[in-house]
Amino acid sequence: MTVALAPGVVVGRSEPMRGATELVIHHPPSACALRPGQFFQLAVGAPHTILRRPYSAAWAEPASGRIGFIFNVVGAGSAWLANRHEGHEVDLLGPLGKGFELDGGVPAIVVAGGLGVAVFPGVVQALLARGRHATVLLGARTADQLLPSDRFVGAEVKVATDDGTAGHHGSVVDLIREGSVDLFACGPTPMLRALMQTARRIELPLSSIQVALETPMGCGVGTCLGCAAPRADGGYLLTCQDGPCLRADRIDWNKMTDAFHG
Amino acid sequence: MADRLDLEVDLGRGLRLRSPVMVASGTFGYGFDAPLVDRSALGAIVTKGTTPRPREGNAPTRIAETPSGMLNAIGLQNPGSERVAREYAPQWATWDVPVIVNVAGDSVADYVEVARSLDGVSGVAGLELNISCPNVANGLQFGLDPRLAGDLTAAVRRATRLPLIIKLTPNVTDIVAVGRAVEAAGADAVSAINTFVGMAIDVRQRRPILSRGSGGVSGPAIKPLALHAVWQLSAELGIPVIGLGGIMTTSDALEFLLAGAVAVQLGTVNYVRPQSAREVHDGIAAYLHEHEFDDLRALPIRGARVTANA
Repeated sequence: MTVALAPGVVVGRSEPMRGATELVIHHPPSACALRPGQFFQLAVGAPHTILRRPYSAAWAEPASGRIGFIFNVVGAGSAWLANRHEGHEVDLLGPLGKGFELDGGVPAIVVAGGLGVAVFPGVVQALLARGRHATVLLGARTADQLLPSDRFVGAEVKVATDDGTAGHHGSVVDLIREGSVDLFACGPTPMLRALMQTARRIELPLSSIQVALETPMGCGVGTCLGCAAPRADGGYLLTCQDGPCLRADRIDWNKMTDAFHG
Repeated sequence: MADRLDLEVDLGRGLRLRSPVMVASGTFGYGFDAPLVDRSALGAIVTKGTTPRPREGNAPTRIAETPSGMLNAIGLQNPGSERVAREYAPQWATWDVPVIVNVAGDSVADYVEVARSLDGVSGVAGLELNISCPNVANGLQFGLDPRLAGDLTAAVRRATRLPLIIKLTPNVTDIVAVGRAVEAAGADAVSAINTFVGMAIDVRQRRPILSRGSGGVSGPAIKPLALHAVWQLSAELGIPVIGLGGIMTTSDALEFLLAGAVAVQLGTVNYVRPQSAREVHDGIAAYLHEHEFDDLRALPIRGARVTANA
């Protein structure tokens, strides 16, 4: 494991979809070491905050040493990050945890709910680079909160919105069809729970679904034991060490709680 | 220049640390998971609280950030003392830093069992008794009552030859009374303080954020409270006091050493800046050098003009 702890420099900042911020940070060691699905602990300097904030990298470009993060402002820490501009330093700890297992012979289906899409640009690129057929199913509340489909060039993109302003009127989970596929999912816990129900209905084994878990997190490296998630066979696993990307059959989805965004 | 400075600390019963900077229980696992930490900067590692049998810990949500601090209610998730002795201790024996096992339990028998199982185990340099875990049923009772705390200390004292540190809870009216009781019962040192009991509520979902409702508050929010506890204890006890509670910087650590602590533990800061132990160690050395002090014994500021009830 190559884990770096060093400041990177913000080299780009944009609003990829309404309300979201994409920060591009120049940090060559991280851009080279990242495996799609891994996360970083970003230090924030907002008054009275303490803990680093865990964010999956959206993508990395080893040649330019750049790495992208897409996030919403949900509290003081993310608000501070969203106010970083070109030239500002951001302290990164990572890459951390386990990424997705990307090899396989069957088509790949990516299911992204809301900000869950933030982990997938690099994942889809890596799937396509392996010669896999990739379909991206994007869900959001409304059309302008969808990450534009040109972020997934080479993949087939289908969308769903809660209010029907784009694509299917309803849940992104409704877009899943029967078939022998590998599924990659990230999104709010209720969406993931619905996904597991659909998978059981269409007899897709949960072991063929990989999820990027989101839980509250303290250290990000396995010492604080704060990011526990309920294991299917009892007890808890740690999102930071056993995940964040793991097979869906390892989680007890009935006991999985919604992450609190403070 | 700093090489000639003596940063050694004597905690008694043969436990000597080359540095006054320790890492606090629960913030460093069993020493294996923390990346990028320079162990040569550490005086000692204190492990996660260890019980006789494995514990799964509390249901999520276990942690939450609070202003200048955090709450935790992990619930003593640990692999049990047998596995610690069998798998971890042999690795610690090869390290160049002493490892002190933090011990927790629900009964005197639990503590005695862990102490017995680790007595004479190579790689275990000492025990720190967590008599004040706020996050499990009955976890606080020993630390709240001087008589119970003394009885527990005496029982563990009889069960082990290892150096024995008692970690005190601040959730009491008179922490000095508990400190005196454990000193009289044979403690070699005390560490102060454990977390304060607190809580946070999610106003959108209208429920406590932590699954247990309450948890322990740590971080800079509690530093002035911790410092005063250390100030009081070091005036009244004849055994070493190890200070902890919200230390983030060299200056914070120096405050505790000036208040009379012989060593400090870094806790929450390990989550934020894994390199902080090295920074604080070097910062203390630079401070001694700058003030032309030969060793840490020159630091405590208490003199005749300062009264114990300050």
